[in-house]
Amino acid sequence: MKLDFSFIWTACVGLLPAVPTTLKITVVSVLCGLAIGTFVALCRMYRVPVLHRIAAAYVTVIRGTPMLTHLLILYVSIPLVVDGLADRFDWSFRSAQIPMIGFAYLSFSITAGAYLSEVVRSGLLAVNKGQMEAAHAVGMTTVQGLRRIVFPQAFAAALPNLTNSLIGMLHGSTLAFTVSVVDINAQAEILATTNWKFFEAYLAAALLFWGMTVLIERLSALLERRVTRYNRGGVA
Amino acid sequence: MIRLQGIRKAFGKNEVLKGIDLTVDKGEVVAILGPSGSGKTTLLRCINYLEKPSDGEISIDEFAVNCRKPAKKDIHALRRKTAMVFQQYNLFRHKTALENVMEGLVVVKKLPKAEARQKSVELLEKVGLGDKLDAYPSQLSGGQQQRVGIARALALNPEVILFDEPTSALDPELVGEVLAVIRKIAKEGITMIIVTHEMSFAQEVANHIVFMEGGAVVEEGPPKTIFQSPKEERTRQFLARFTSDSAYSI
Ligand SMILES: Nc1ncnc2c1ncn2[C@@H]1O[C@H](COP(=O)(O)OP(=O)(O)OP(=O)(O)O)[C@@H](O)[C@H]1O
Ligand SMILES: [Mg+2]
Repeated sequence: MKLDFSFIWTACVGLLPAVPTTLKITVVSVLCGLAIGTFVALCRMYRVPVLHRIAAAYVTVIRGTPMLTHLLILYVSIPLVVDGLADRFDWSFRSAQIPMIGFAYLSFSITAGAYLSEVVRSGLLAVNKGQMEAAHAVGMTTVQGLRRIVFPQAFAAALPNLTNSLIGMLHGSTLAFTVSVVDINAQAEILATTNWKFFEAYLAAALLFWGMTVLIERLSALLERRVTRYNRGGVA
Repeated sequence: MIRLQGIRKAFGKNEVLKGIDLTVDKGEVVAILGPSGSGKTTLLRCINYLEKPSDGEISIDEFAVNCRKPAKKDIHALRRKTAMVFQQYNLFRHKTALENVMEGLVVVKKLPKAEARQKSVELLEKVGLGDKLDAYPSQLSGGQQQRVGIARALALNPEVILFDEPTSALDPELVGEVLAVIRKIAKEGITMIIVTHEMSFAQEVANHIVFMEGGAVVEEGPPKTIFQSPKEERTRQFLARFTSDSAYSI
């Protein structure tokens, strides 16, 4: 078998239209996951009655099961629920109208939320208790203290783990092909079968993922240098 | 005037404050002395509700908080009337010296940025840190950090500043600079409650000394009386330890 180098290039170009899909799934699920994760982490840290138990259960169940399983379960259950409700309340909306990518957004956000809640929690735990006390002492409310004092420091502490999660989700987003979303990987599959050049097409996909990952790593390193500036003594 | 009445605090079954009554007049400097574990820190933290008292009343002039059923907005109001200087400084680590002082002015007092900045610069100059405005806490010595902490407390223009052993985390050669700043602001008539183990400092700066032991006030009075002719045997024993210590260190 001979490797067709020029087709790798052709495939890379052919994969570009699928890049936004991959990026959208990754960004949406990480951002929603971060929101869910922050809420869950705060519920657990402040031991909010009832909610903290639900939050703990959510984390063990979701982390205890594969991401693909979440996607498949939602994929079969949501239409049942939606159509059931639609029948009962006479909606014109049908589950078939839900875009496929919607399942990926929802499912991966739920997955990411569980993992990111632990990332957020460890970030929050890295912030000294005295910081919130000082915020209270200058007259801030707990919400102000969290937003202005604790979160910025927790973010700096959690950044390396957040980057890991982002990269994990970028690669994990390829599972969306199981619900017929055409991301980079699915597009590579299409190019591979139509041209009968599997190796080249998959290599092209690998190159694109690698490129994006390196980009994320670089950006994260830059950001890390900015947000942890205060921790490196001797600059002034 | 600050008034504590029957302040109680228990951690689980361990009753740490057993009904503290204390009145501090405006402009008065009160030093709280007492052995380790006597509840000095806990009392101070109760005054601005970093610790939740189980019973009692805290009042500042007309404003009073009933510790049995405090409203959230009362706790918030109490915190805005008080300021605290921490043993471990607790400066906001991600903010410069200037930003640390400005933070409360901008976020809590809602001062315009420019005004807050000007006031903060003045205060940092007052504590001798006019050249460290843009330094982060990690770039400052302990003594400098604590002076920023004092400037941060002063900025809020509180009814009272609470100091919890402001120099006990410092290297001996840095203690002097912090005490000098406290001495300076004491002269300006700012009401202060200071927990300290620096006996000679307490004697010099305070108008009123409170001696605590086992979660209760054992004795209180003017420095002269407490240091020279304490009524209680326990006060005498406690102070004797320190005077003999300092006899060696001279
Ligand atoms: N968060 C807490 N949980 C449980 N017990 C506590 C807590 N904080 C303080 N205590 C207990 O309360 C008692 C009084 O502590 P506190 O820190 O007020 O003493 P202190 O007079 O400030 O002592 P020191 O001079 O050593 O600072 C101690 O027995 C301590 O173990
Ligand atoms: Mg103490």
